[in-house]
Amino acid sequence: MAISEDPEGHEIRALASAVSFAGRRVLEIGCGDGRLTARYAPDAADVIAIDSDAEAVAALAAERMPNVVARVLGIEQLDAAPHSADVVLFAWSL
Amino acid sequence: MVDALRRAHRTVAPDGIVVDLHPDASPPVVEIGSRPTGHVDVEDGAHRHAAADATIATVVRDGLFAIERVVEFAFHTHADTIDELRDYIEENWRNARLDDLTVSRTREAAREMPGERPRAREHVILTVMRPRRQPVV
Repeated sequence: MAISEDPEGHEIRALASAVSFAGRRVLEIGCGDGRLTARYAPDAADVIAIDSDAEAVAALAAERMPNVVARVLGIEQLDAAPHSADVVLFAWSL
Repeated sequence: MVDALRRAHRTVAPDGIVVDLHPDASPPVVEIGSRPTGHVDVEDGAHRHAAADATIATVVRDGLFAIERVVEFAFHTHADTIDELRDYIEENWRNARLDDLTVSRTREAAREMPGERPRAREHVILTVMRPRRQPVV
């Protein structure tokens, strides 16, 4: 299958124009299979990426990005410490 | 959804930001080359995305966040054929389908424009929100 999502890179360019991920602690909510995560994570300090879709999270975890922790979790189950993220990203999930 | 942003407010650092990305309420356009051939029928899409807008408006009104920046862009999903695009959307998008007329129009346009790939175009809104230290009363 030759599906390609945003090969033009509009999404990451829009995100990069508005947010600096350099050295930031990121919490991504609704990460899916990590399509967007893979594009910004190399710049971030660390990333916690959550999604309630176990299959998608497994696909993200299989990418083995060293600074990304992927968890099967909805935001209603998230017990993150106060002020523990510099960027909270709702990725098509609000 | 308001609860999700309240949780985000607790989690984000005082000098941090919360970013939301979601498509607007308009139906995604199916096109080939630059020629529109129809829309993706997303059963509850307009309602869902309007609800996300309303959620952001609520937390701003409640003083949890201030909107710092809004960026809009087009998000394209490309396929080799319209059948491939239809199958992908129906399998991977929530409550979405392509009707037969859109499929047949796109097939016809593809015959007229060899080498062009069909795609779905969504209009996405990126909102950057800065947490307020104290909600405005």
